[in-house]
Amino acid sequence: MKKLTPLSCWLRIPPTHTIAVTLGETIAAQALKKNVEDWMRVIHSKSGARWAVFHHDSYEFLSILLALWQLQRIACVPGDNRPGTVKRLTSHVDGFIGEFPIQSVLTANACLPASESQQLPLQQLPLQQLAQPWQPLDPDAIALEIYTSGSTGEPTPISKTLAQLEREIAILESLWPTRLSHPSDNQSPVQNSSEQNSLLQNSAVKKCSVVLGTVSHQHLYGMTFRLLWPFCSGRVFETTICEYTEDILYQAHHYSTFELISSPSHLGRINTSIDWEPLKQRCIGIVSSAAPLSREDSTNVRALLDTSVREIYGSSETGAVAWRIQTPDQKESLWQSLPQINLSSTDEGTLRVTSPYLGDVNQLTLADKVEFIQPGKFRLIGRIDRIVKVEGKRVSLAAIEQQLLKNNEVRGARALTLTRTRIETAVVIQLTESAWLQLQQYGRKPLITRLKNHLSADFETVVLPRRWRFVQQLPYNLQGKIPLQTLQSMFDKEPVKWPEISAECVTDNQATLHCYIPVTLLYFDGHFAENPILPGIVQVHWAEAYGRRLLSVTGCFLSLEVIKFKSIIPPGQQITLTLIYDQETKKLSFSYTSDKGEHSSGRLCFE
Amino acid sequence: MSNLHLELKKMIIESLDLEDIEASEIIDDAPLFVDGLGLDSIDALEIGLALQKRYGIKLKADAEETRQHFSSINALVALVESHGSK
Repeated sequence: MKKLTPLSCWLRIPPTHTIAVTLGETIAAQALKKNVEDWMRVIHSKSGARWAVFHHDSYEFLSILLALWQLQRIACVPGDNRPGTVKRLTSHVDGFIGEFPIQSVLTANACLPASESQQLPLQQLPLQQLAQPWQPLDPDAIALEIYTSGSTGEPTPISKTLAQLEREIAILESLWPTRLSHPSDNQSPVQNSSEQNSLLQNSAVKKCSVVLGTVSHQHLYGMTFRLLWPFCSGRVFETTICEYTEDILYQAHHYSTFELISSPSHLGRINTSIDWEPLKQRCIGIVSSAAPLSREDSTNVRALLDTSVREIYGSSETGAVAWRIQTPDQKESLWQSLPQINLSSTDEGTLRVTSPYLGDVNQLTLADKVEFIQPGKFRLIGRIDRIVKVEGKRVSLAAIEQQLLKNNEVRGARALTLTRTRIETAVVIQLTESAWLQLQQYGRKPLITRLKNHLSADFETVVLPRRWRFVQQLPYNLQGKIPLQTLQSMFDKEPVKWPEISAECVTDNQATLHCYIPVTLLYFDGHFAENPILPGIVQVHWAEAYGRRLLSVTGCFLSLEVIKFKSIIPPGQQITLTLIYDQETKKLSFSYTSDKGEHSSGRLCFE
Repeated sequence: MSNLHLELKKMIIESLDLEDIEASEIIDDAPLFVDGLGLDSIDALEIGLALQKRYGIKLKADAEETRQHFSSINALVALVESHGSK
């Protein structure tokens, strides 16, 4: 067993010790120190204590953190680097380091804004100017601020000292000690060649047990489990994230054994047709967090990799607090607290955490509802606030609503989550009068595109609404509330976009469709509230669509030659759509008729 | 638009449970992710699974290559066709 190196004493790690690998290439502690020094040069002449950090590469990310800490600065870590995130962070931080879509970001090459380029290039500043740059770090100073979605949508920083991180790591290590030998523990070449895999060239790498991850280190879970805990316990982390489950296979092939730090988003979508067999022997641990893993997915992964999935429950505020392993023989696997963590239920049924790594307080209440079955053992029931996890990403529904309300087409908005083939957000939007007219004239798509674009600067694509409903009035009940059930029911079915066809007759160039106009047709929404009628644009769209389907109309739509709307088509109307296509002229004539006579007719020209 | 183009578009709409988009509206050479159809990383995982299920395609474990294959409908068609001809 290796002794844990406290994060604040990371300089004690022996220089030749491998700390990370990138696809088979090893990175030793001395290279890390050199890289940290480079980042320190970039940072140290800059004033300001608090720096936003984003980098896709875990090694660079760690280097930036350590550089900031050596310089007694605070690393402010957002979950992503989107323009909206940058904007919101600007008032919280003194500058940006790593990969941010802005000019003034500090990068490894110290790209400076033009105004500062006359100054001495930062790389040349001697680090000796610093008083004792390689001091052990102060464990009690604030080192980290994690930015997550607060309930208001404003970023809420969660501060951590190194001591907090160290205590959490120590508790994790006490429960799951690191047992592995390490390449730098064994300087002599590997003796037993029969155990070697011929694919592996580098004997040092081959002996490695490596921590692979599908989750980002920009969130606390990934940072602790993929990066800091392995780093402090002498394990080796892979610097590149596994985007696809296939990447796990590819990366794992480089190493003798591996642990996988993942989440339900990936573990629930593992490609079972790949031959995972060769990895069975090598997989020595799977961790899942960010959201509860379904029993089915847990069992499935266990079968594929012959390793049980250890789930971690926690939050950015508390770090890890509980864990469970779902075993096939148990119907329900309860969560149980980590050592030294005391868990109980508040009067509201939410989870109260008493822990040695909460910082200034020793107790904190989370917004998760829980039910205790035995002391220290509980099941999760759901959240009480409007912060939700969408595919493991934390998002505030209130923040989505507030952002939508900033759009001048939106009068009211309600966001909710739906569980369909995935967990997703959806919104019901009350539009302004003019937006209604736009909707009627141009349809849903341009409106949805505008609103999505409006949100995309601030929210990651994964949490953007995938389903949209537009109403003239949000469905308030008599108590003046909008029942969640009513909102949910608006998404129960796919929106009805087509007539119900009772009979269809197609000859050479003519098609006749007898159909019923459903009362629930999407296009009646707000067109118009008192007197719903089938919009003309929809009639034209249907004519074109059925023409393409039934009469082999091909070319692009060119123009609408004649169009007559004689009488309205109300919901529930039985109607006959007649289509005639002239191959020569590429013109499609249509008419909608009923026992009331002709409702409309027109001619579409195609290329 | 070939049958395969249409088939893949339908597969995407179905497997990703997309709303407000018809197969005919997906442009063959437009990007599927970010700017074009606006798909995300979870969608990418789902497309990978759907390709496997329907065509028996196993993605090579190379993120860059996968990104190329998933760049547009045309790229997916090329992937499926090259798989079929093997």
